[in-house]
Formats: sequence, structure tokens, C-alpha cells
Amino acid sequence: MIATIAKHQLLLLRRQRIFLGMMCLFLAMAAAAGMLGWSSHHTIVRVYDDAKQLLANAGKPAPPNPFLLTPPLSLLSNMTIYIPLLGALLALVLGHLSMIEDQTDGTGRLIFSRPVSRTTYVLGTMASASSALAAILAASWWVSALSLAIVHRSIPSVQEFGQLTLFYGLSWSYMFAFALIGMVTVLLTQRRSLALLSAIGVWLIVTFAVPQFTSGLRPSASLNPITDPVSTSQRFFKVTAKARPYSVVEQYKAASGRILQTATAEPVWETMRRVLPLAILIIGLVLATIRLVQQHDFSRSASNE
Amino acid sequence: MNSSRLHIPALAGHEYRAAVRSRILIVLLAILVVVTTVSVYIGAVDYRSQLSDYMAYRAAAQASGLAQVAPSPLAPLSLLRGALEYLEIIGAIIAIALGYLGVSRERTNRTLALVRSRPVSPSELAAGNALGALGLISTLVAVTASVAVVCIGVIGHDWVNGAQAVKLLLAYFSAIVYMWIFYCIGAIATIKSQVAANGLMIALGIWLIVVLIMPQIGDTLDVDNQIPGGLFHALNLVKADEISILNNFKTYEKIRTGIEEASFAQHFQRFAFAMTDVKDKYRTLSLWQLFGKKIHDIEWLVLYSVTFGFGLRHSFKSQNKVPQGVQP
Repeated sequence: MIATIAKHQLLLLRRQRIFLGMMCLFLAMAAAAGMLGWSSHHTIVRVYDDAKQLLANAGKPAPPNPFLLTPPLSLLSNMTIYIPLLGALLALVLGHLSMIEDQTDGTGRLIFSRPVSRTTYVLGTMASASSALAAILAASWWVSALSLAIVHRSIPSVQEFGQLTLFYGLSWSYMFAFALIGMVTVLLTQRRSLALLSAIGVWLIVTFAVPQFTSGLRPSASLNPITDPVSTSQRFFKVTAKARPYSVVEQYKAASGRILQTATAEPVWETMRRVLPLAILIIGLVLATIRLVQQHDFSRSASNE
Repeated sequence: MNSSRLHIPALAGHEYRAAVRSRILIVLLAILVVVTTVSVYIGAVDYRSQLSDYMAYRAAAQASGLAQVAPSPLAPLSLLRGALEYLEIIGAIIAIALGYLGVSRERTNRTLALVRSRPVSPSELAAGNALGALGLISTLVAVTASVAVVCIGVIGHDWVNGAQAVKLLLAYFSAIVYMWIFYCIGAIATIKSQVAANGLMIALGIWLIVVLIMPQIGDTLDVDNQIPGGLFHALNLVKADEISILNNFKTYEKIRTGIEEASFAQHFQRFAFAMTDVKDKYRTLSLWQLFGKKIHDIEWLVLYSVTFGFGLRHSFKSQNKVPQGVQP
């Protein structure tokens, strides 16, 4: 029965033009990440050559090429920005649509007139959302692997394929958490717009406000894969920095950087520790969604917008 | 003409009051005020210690009879950088929500047909709604600006003077224009969508592209933005060398700046940052010199706001063509 509900939900999602549009945008950005990475890298290498020539003419020694030791997967470092921005928003919309449609078109009432338990229903809905995210990220995985092969003119190594898979696995978890937030806000509010805007409010806090509170990162720093270190010696940060390990967006970026080898190396257990708050958040949200569906009044339609 | 004078303020007042009653707008405003306060607080604490260092230096210099005391290098308005970035991101979402709620409220309550049964023209309806929204946006921006200025004074121990207040007013006026554009986008997308919530999602998609994706692509392609501290600094190059090298990459730079220029969020940011002394190079310029440097950004903001303003008027005129009470 869970599989039937999941299949039905996926069928509904396929008909949602907004969701399809956002999905296309996400895949286009995955392709752009590789292209932009290649373009900027290629230009910088040429800038370095010009600078070396200029310094040689002036009789000055040239510093070593800052990109000499850049790992091949650094080409995809933009993806660590697109997942928390675009990916998380796509997941919010996915979660929102998965839960709202049965309320607005009245099928929620119809489903529960059949011998279907609420737990089965919510598990089916979650399974459809997670499958949709997995399919999108699998497509993105292919786009990324193809970009790497084209730019480096060689097929990525087994290790690189493994790193890429690990990165997309982590990204799936991150996006699934936001899909659940999209569902929870529908179940907690009475109006469709309120649900969507509340979910976006949560996303704004997680993505922009919390990193500023815990690490002093300005909102625009979230748009750049390279961030200048910020002074956090103030008394304010001595208190708030304690919450940094729980800032899921910062921990996601740090763990992704470690997986793609664009960040400083650290022990594996340290990277796993970074993923722990995300895992706890997902478990908490899954339990909250199940609980809220049990209590939700599906006889009340949300079709007042 | 006389009836318009009565109708438009009445419609604007209705729009303003109805928006203020919206819980989600209040929550979003609360988020904006809290993050603005924290952002200014973080900068102001550092600023306070730098200011006390400078005051100690000045007192010591004056006591020793030094003829010329170096002016303060500090710029209190630059502490508003984070606050302006939040206006750019969260302020735009608030404006979209305002545009969406203004249209969907009339649809959901089925009051649009009632209003149109009165002697109110679509232009008056558009003008009334737009004025009400502008009033609310101005209130939101004024609240955020007041919180930020009080934070600089109380925490940073430096109150904004007259000349700085003028620049600050101009920066926040550009924020009102910027939010007005997003209000128009939110309202137009909702009017054009049969399902109001889909209009909201489309407007948020535009916001995502304009505010986050386009500037991000511009940042990524910026040659000097690829390693911490800047590439040219790492290569020990001075500004003249940087310009000379970048002359060899004119097409690349043209594409990069073209992507950034297409985003009106970037024009707002550049103008507001210049007015609030965020960039060192603008701090010594007079107001007229700043206008001269930023005329390009002003032109783009005016063009976008007028175009979307006309788009909003046109959409309101065609609004009755959309069936009312359609289910989402």
C-alpha cells in the first residue's frame, strides 16, 4: 500500500509544472556548476601566466600558482552552494506539494474513507518525496560526472566516482530534511500561502541567519564558495559558537568540502560528526510529520485560496 | 478627478490595514528586524573598540600639542552592510508576499467583484493598492532603518550626523524602490495565475534567479574572488598591474558584468553600499560625486520600477478577465 501511495504521489508531481520548472532549473545549474568552474579556473590559469610574465619583466619572482594543487572535484564546488540555495527550495516546494494537493483537491478525505492507515499514507508520501529527490540528484550526478569527463578530458577515477556519490548522498539527506519541513508547515497551518511562506521563513533562518549568529558570516558570504575568514573573537561569538556544530548548513558545506577535497583534510569521524545534527533533524522531522498526520483534520479542505 | 482623490486614498488605506493584519507578514518582519539587529550588533561591538582606540589617540595627540590630528578612518554607516543584505534577501520576500496577499485576499474573500461594482476604475484600484503597498513598504524600511541607527548609536557609541543621515535616507529610499519592484512581481504573477499559490511560487522563482543565482554566477566568475584574500593580492600585484592584466580578458569580464547587471538586486546593492560607505573608495566622495558614479545603477532601478509599475497597472486592468473564486 505504501508503494501504491508513493506511486500516486509521483504521478501527481509529474503533472506539477511549477515543480518541473524548478527541477529543470536545478539540473541546468548542476550543468552550469561544471561549466562555470571550468571557465573561471581556465581564466585564472591564464591570468596567472600573464601575471608571471609581468612580474618577470619587472624582475620580481612569481609566487607559486595558487591553483596547482586544486583537486579535480573542486570544479563542482559551486554545487555546495546550489544545494542549500536552490536544492533546499526545490525540496521545500516538493514537500509542500506532496502534502497540500490531497487537501486542496479533497482526495485526502477520499483516501481515508478506504482502509488505509494514516501511518501508511504518510510513509507513502515520504517515500515519494525521497524517490523524487533521489531521481533528481541521480540526474545531477550524471551531469556532474559528464562535466568532469569533458573538462578533464578523461573519465573520473573510481575514487572520484565514490566521492561524487557520497556528496550526492549527503545532498539527498539535506534536501530531504527540507522536503519534510515543507510537509510539516502544511500540517501546522491552515492556509496554503501561510504554509509556503512559513517554510521559506525556516529556510531563511537556517541558510542565512544561523550562520551569521554562530560564525559571523554575512548573507552574501553564503553565495560564494570561497569565504574570507571572519573574526569571531567577540564575547557574543563565545556564546553563539557553541551552536555552530548544530548549524546544519555550515556543517553540510564543511562535510561537502571534505568529501570533494576542497576543504582542509580532517579525520573521517570528524566529517561523520558533522553529519550527525542533520541525521537527528531528519529523524525528528519524520517523527513530527507522522505525529501531525495522525492528528490532522483531513476533512477540512485548504481550498480557500 | 475628484472621485479619484477620494477612492485612491480609501483603497490605499484598506490595503495598508489589511496587510498589517497578516500574521505571516508580521513574522517575516520580526525575522528581518532580529537579523538586522544581530548583524549591526556584531559590527558595532568591534566598531566601539576601534572608536575608543581612535579617541584615545586623538586625546593623546591633542594633549601633546600636535598641530594636525589624523581624521577618523571609521565609517559608522558601513556597519549597515549586513542589514542592507538582509533587506535585499528577506525584504524582497516580504514585498512578494505583500503583492501576493493583496491580490489573493480579494480573490479568496470574493470582494473584487464587489469593489468593481462600485464606481471604481481599474486604474484607481491599481493606484490605491500600489499606494497602500508603498506605504507599508516604507513603514517596514523605516522600522529596519531606525533599529539599525539606534544600534549604531547605543552599541557602537557613534550617532549618525546630518550628512550621513542624508546618505542613509537615499540608501533606504533605494530599498523602497527595490522592494516596490518585487511587490509588482508578486502581484503580477498572482493576477496572471488562476491558482493564486502558483503565482506566489513563480514570483519566488524569479526572486531566486535575480537575488541569488545571478549574483552568485557573477561572484563565481570574478577572477579576484577565487581564493581567500583575492587572487591579485596573492600574486603580489598592484592595482595598475591588475587593470593591465584584466585588459586581456575584456570579453570574459563583459559577460560576467553583463550577468550581474541584468539583476536589479545588484544595482540596489551597489547604490546602497556606495551611500553607506561600505566600499573604501566611495568614502571620500561628496554626495554629487557619488550620484555621478552611481547614475548607471539609478537609471536601471528607475527603469525596472517604472516598467513593472506599468505592468502592474496593466495586470490590474485585465484582472476581471480571470474567473474569481477559482480553486488552487
